[in-house]
Amino acid sequence: MESRKLASFFEEDLCIFSLRSRKKSSVLQEMVRRLATAGRISDEHFIMEMLKNRESLGSTGLGMSVAFPHGRSLAIKKLTVLFARSAGGVDFEAQDGENTKIFFLILAPSDKGAEIYLALLSELIGIIQKPQKLEKLLTVKDYASLVAVLDGDE
Amino acid sequence: MREEFRLLVGLQDLDIMIKDMKDKVTTDELKNMGFKLEGLEELLTARTKLASKIPTALLNRYEKLAGHYKVAILPVSGNQCLGCFVKLPTSFFSSAYSHELLTCENCGRMLYIP
Ligand SMILES: [Zn+2]
Repeated sequence: MESRKLASFFEEDLCIFSLRSRKKSSVLQEMVRRLATAGRISDEHFIMEMLKNRESLGSTGLGMSVAFPHGRSLAIKKLTVLFARSAGGVDFEAQDGENTKIFFLILAPSDKGAEIYLALLSELIGIIQKPQKLEKLLTVKDYASLVAVLDGDE
Repeated sequence: MREEFRLLVGLQDLDIMIKDMKDKVTTDELKNMGFKLEGLEELLTARTKLASKIPTALLNRYEKLAGHYKVAILPVSGNQCLGCFVKLPTSFFSSAYSHELLTCENCGRMLYIP
């Protein structure tokens, strides 16, 4: 992903540090609602449909408490990431059967190729594979600490 | 936005996902990252269901364009067609057409005013 810092994809108003929802579909809805209120998407309905279709291919909950809902839609103009955390965790039908606590929602526009979100996904997966980083993400409470985890050296 | 356009946009999003799922480079990469991709049949069923709600003439027009272009239907933004970036005539923006499905005269893509 060239030299762009990972944290530069994250915006403060697109971070939810305490998700209220407890169910898979309502978590997706809560995240999509935030994108709409922050003015990043033109239509919640399209994004929800796309994300539900994507989940029907297999849960994007990869286990280790982390999920990466993602896809492309006409309703989004540029590559956008939303971070969300649920302290209690949600049954996101994750591959390891455990609750999901961290969500990286990645949306890309439909006129670009899949590679634009694949590169970002791959970098984020690299982050959660580092145990110290994952541990910090699980308790991150504000934007500054999120940025520190994403761009920090350890 | 009229219901038919909404359905078309939904169909286009779905087609893009189906295309990704049929692309070996994309699916291999996702699988290497740990994603399970098993429900293509379900997506195809959802597509059939969605397509059946769209009037035939409109669907045919979309299918033809979708064969040529990554994006066949798109919203008008600024005064350009975002498909081919040609400037659209001002008559495009008169209120008489604001609920109609428009056509870019340069590239033929379907345009709507959001
Ligand atoms: Zn055009």
